[in-house]
Amino acid sequence: MSQDKKGGLKRRDFLKIIGVAGGTAAVTGACSPPVEQIIPYVIPPEGIIPGLPNYYSSTCRECPAGCGIVVKNREGRAIKVEGNTKSPINSGATCARGQASLQGLYNPDRIKSPLLKNDDGRMKPLGWESIEKSLSEKIVKARSGDKSGNIVFLTNNISGTLSTLIEDWMGVLGGAHIQYETFAYEPLKEANKISFGIEKIPTYNIEKTDYLLSFGADFLETWLSPVEYTADFSAMHSVKDKSVGKFVYIDPRASLTGTNADQWVSIKPGTEGVLALGIANVIVNEGLSSNSAGGLQGLLSNYSPDKVSSITDVPKEVITQIAKEFAGADSSLAIGGGVASSGTNATQTLVAINILNYVAGNIGDTIDFGDTLSISDVNSFQDMSSLIDSMNSGDIDLILIHGVNPVFTLPKSMKFKEALEKVDTIVSFSSFMDETTELSDLVLPDNTFLESWGDYSPRTSVKGLTQPIMAPVFNTKSTGDVLLSISGQVEELNGRYVQTTYYDYLRDAWKDILPSGDFDKEWNKALEDGGFYEEPTKVAVSLSSAAMGISFPDAEFKGEGEYYFMAYPSYRYYDGRGANKPWLQELPEAITTGVWDSWVEVHPDTAKKLGIKLGDFVTIESPNGTIDTQAYVYEGIRPDTLAVMIGQGHTAYGRYAKDRGVNPLDLLPVTTDQLSGGFAWLTTKVNASRTGKHAQFVQTQYTTTQHDRVIAETVALSELQKGIHHEEHHEADFYPPREYHTYRWGMAIDLQKCVGCGSCVTACYAENNIAFVGKDMVAKRRDMAWIRIERYFEKTDDAKGFRTMYFPMLCQQCGNAPCEPVCPVFATYHNPEGLNGMVYNRCVGTRYCANNCTYKVRKFNWFTYKWPEPLDWQLNPDVTVRSKGVMEKCTFCVQRINYAKDLAKDDSRDVGDGEFKVACEQACPAEAIVFGNLEDHESNASKLSHDDRGYRALEFVNTQPAITYLKKVVRDKA
Amino acid sequence: MRNRIKILSLPTLVLFTLVGFYFYNAESSDQGPTQPVRFSHKIHATEDQIPCEYCHSFVDVSPIPGIPSVKKCMGCHSQIAGRDVDYDFDGTTINIKNEIAKVREYWANKEPIPWVKVNSQPGYVHFTHKRHIKRGFECAQCHGDVAQMDQVHEVNKMNMGFCIQCHTQNAKDEAELTHLKDCLTCHY
Repeated sequence: MSQDKKGGLKRRDFLKIIGVAGGTAAVTGACSPPVEQIIPYVIPPEGIIPGLPNYYSSTCRECPAGCGIVVKNREGRAIKVEGNTKSPINSGATCARGQASLQGLYNPDRIKSPLLKNDDGRMKPLGWESIEKSLSEKIVKARSGDKSGNIVFLTNNISGTLSTLIEDWMGVLGGAHIQYETFAYEPLKEANKISFGIEKIPTYNIEKTDYLLSFGADFLETWLSPVEYTADFSAMHSVKDKSVGKFVYIDPRASLTGTNADQWVSIKPGTEGVLALGIANVIVNEGLSSNSAGGLQGLLSNYSPDKVSSITDVPKEVITQIAKEFAGADSSLAIGGGVASSGTNATQTLVAINILNYVAGNIGDTIDFGDTLSISDVNSFQDMSSLIDSMNSGDIDLILIHGVNPVFTLPKSMKFKEALEKVDTIVSFSSFMDETTELSDLVLPDNTFLESWGDYSPRTSVKGLTQPIMAPVFNTKSTGDVLLSISGQVEELNGRYVQTTYYDYLRDAWKDILPSGDFDKEWNKALEDGGFYEEPTKVAVSLSSAAMGISFPDAEFKGEGEYYFMAYPSYRYYDGRGANKPWLQELPEAITTGVWDSWVEVHPDTAKKLGIKLGDFVTIESPNGTIDTQAYVYEGIRPDTLAVMIGQGHTAYGRYAKDRGVNPLDLLPVTTDQLSGGFAWLTTKVNASRTGKHAQFVQTQYTTTQHDRVIAETVALSELQKGIHHEEHHEADFYPPREYHTYRWGMAIDLQKCVGCGSCVTACYAENNIAFVGKDMVAKRRDMAWIRIERYFEKTDDAKGFRTMYFPMLCQQCGNAPCEPVCPVFATYHNPEGLNGMVYNRCVGTRYCANNCTYKVRKFNWFTYKWPEPLDWQLNPDVTVRSKGVMEKCTFCVQRINYAKDLAKDDSRDVGDGEFKVACEQACPAEAIVFGNLEDHESNASKLSHDDRGYRALEFVNTQPAITYLKKVVRDKA
Repeated sequence: MRNRIKILSLPTLVLFTLVGFYFYNAESSDQGPTQPVRFSHKIHATEDQIPCEYCHSFVDVSPIPGIPSVKKCMGCHSQIAGRDVDYDFDGTTINIKNEIAKVREYWANKEPIPWVKVNSQPGYVHFTHKRHIKRGFECAQCHGDVAQMDQVHEVNKMNMGFCIQCHTQNAKDEAELTHLKDCLTCHY
């Protein structure tokens, strides 16, 4: 140590002493655990037992399908959404959007209190009393001078009690209630009116068919009721008695639905109706029609295969082949939607499809008009156009907007925004600061559907109830309550409603819905069941003569461009409302496996022509606008077509959605379907050029093929019917086989059923506290998903054809796991019940296990990932939240296993088959995943593990997985 | 000069060390943490003969035994104001009536009582009270004779050694022993 001349202590030495002493103090003092508190309830809420879950039935409102859900609540917080097995719509399954509804509830960018726009244009938080007073003043002002028709209430499809209340309200105030849906299926409705005299959208019994022909209907993604139709499709397309139903998809682009087809027929946009008539013509000419096709011969005779082939670009043989198969099937069905109902001739196209069904004798058998969808009753696109006209001419003084975001979901060329800005007062009830709400003068944030009382009737036979799963997260109030509360402050409405709360109003309304008798009993039963379900009555229909007299014009296209431009609805974001949920942003899109962005799908030939490759930026130009986005080169699209999904490109809507990707609606002209007046989505031709800019295309799977290694296996149908020679061979092993007692947990995944929708992936994120990491991290291969859908494109014999394989990959719980022996600290080990255990608190993060994993299913926490409050409220308290430096992976939802074992132990018995489901299995709409006890030889999973189609992934490595995959069935060449 | 620094540094070191140990030991001492209300388990469980499950009522149905709500305290203490007497609370003299008055104040303000946790498990341990109670264990087997304590303290350091020792001794058979020694029984 040095010393200074004055003999005092030098700064340097002082610091040394303090350093040593302070360090000692820190080591001894600060090591004690922090003081933890236990905060009791002041008044305990009824029915809550800390540590045990409660389940509440409700109805999902993420799209108009109206699936029944059951939401798990722990200590007053909603933590997991499951499907309601009692619901006739989704029968217990959910889609990824339904799972992600929790991230709407806990979204950190929710509007946290009522807001009022100041004179300087800024939003200022306000109390409920003040904002309601402001709103009632605005209503009174709008009503002054005996004006009428100057108030508009714009909502989404809210078929049910809230709709009744709003209709009544607007009736008194002399205004209009407009129900607007982005995808309203107007041509379908109109076509049914022409064909059958019923202006409704029916339900389709896809499960009853063995031959399904879809003209662009993306029924596995967004069309009408995707969860239900995925289940139905799985039922018709899975292996039963060694036979499988056939599915043919006709569309310019092979969407997720299209990639699941046995045959994808690439067709020139706008010519689908011609093809339908061409097929019908062959059926009638070949004498295959089950009825006389009375009166249709004249019409059909114009559509000879040769002519149809030249119009549609579909080879003649394919037309004849489909016609023969379609008419020859025991029960066939043709459906139309998506692109087929997107042209200027959409209604005629769908009438043609109806004619095809009629000729094949399908009407009334697989199409059910007894149970029509409530989306049939929403307002038309024409009503929206008139609304814009009224706003422009200054006829609207007050507009109230609930549940819709038209500034985003209507094409920019409609200039809804500009018209809206001319309205004196804009009131929004949105829970989020979206593009429409940004323009509002008053914001009265609604509860999300997980916090509110309400009901929704998606179809005649189903009246779904929504009940609050928890108290509102923020200072929000349900719109029903706001309307009732304001009624007292507006003269015309004062005293009109006896109820002061919307809950009472709803209950009273349900007195007319539920069977008479003890209302409380019926009401509680309805709450428990998630609603009231009736058996639909069959309605017989026949083809009307109007259909026979219809003419079929060509589709019209706007713009001089070279490429048809397809803006297609996304199964992850629907019309854009899903884009603010990180789980959906991070869910890899099935075909591209892209995340957190937009892209344009380009055919390889077109890409060559444009001089672009994967990840290059492309400028797409239409007369209405320009977008720049990355290219994804994809065989499943026509060379003359470009496709961009709808849902991204938000300019508001919270941190996860804003300024991400592009909005294809910017390019669309305002074109309508001639007969129905509905918006025509595919009517523009665009130009494309390379920008010269390139960036990494962020995706989770960079390869498209299996590189000649057989991971996802197939079996030919003929081979299956002959009987697969299936032997379970056990090679000699140096070590004795493992023995299990009572339980060995295992799984079977049917590749013939899996459609790649990703519902399981999102369900796993929700159940297991898996962190979302964002685009930059995914780009570095640091995504944390425990289950992923691998997709492989394979060439088929047909030169142009390709086949898509979806292959769910998760920890295989190997009996001979490569990860286990390399762990230096025994953090991963084989558990006595066959699980490959992962003990987070033992893990020191060497990552040897992930290196050695054959299946690459182990994920490493490079950081301590954060869930911005209140997203963290969703975390499952039964699962450890992992932190930096820890490896993690699937353990077959061991928390659910332990929970089920605990309940079984109460009755001194073993866990039975099907007593509980793991998260991915429970969510799967296709029932592709079956989990169970392999030691119980009667269990489903155990039986399937010995199925003829069964095999284990990369079996030759001798990892002895607990997961059996069932081979996908491929059709032999026709 | 050099020596002076050495001489100075030694007592400083000792002083800081002592202070450090004081705080360290204060946490894990036999005394247990000081609670916002000097609640005596001895009075409630021994003198008044109230069973543990009356207050910790979920212990046989849930992983979490539950802490009584303030309303539950008031179930008795709206009637029982307590004796206005001094009471030797593990060496600290308290007035019973004053302590009960504190509870009534929390109730009047509709505030929860911020009890300090005595026994705690980290987040990666999923311990369940229910299974242990159903198996017939007494609370005291792990928690010590809380009924004889005024201020509750941690009797057993509830680390994994403590768990496994008991699991090994109490397993009925080989199969159960395997299960009770399995990591995934508690860690997931």
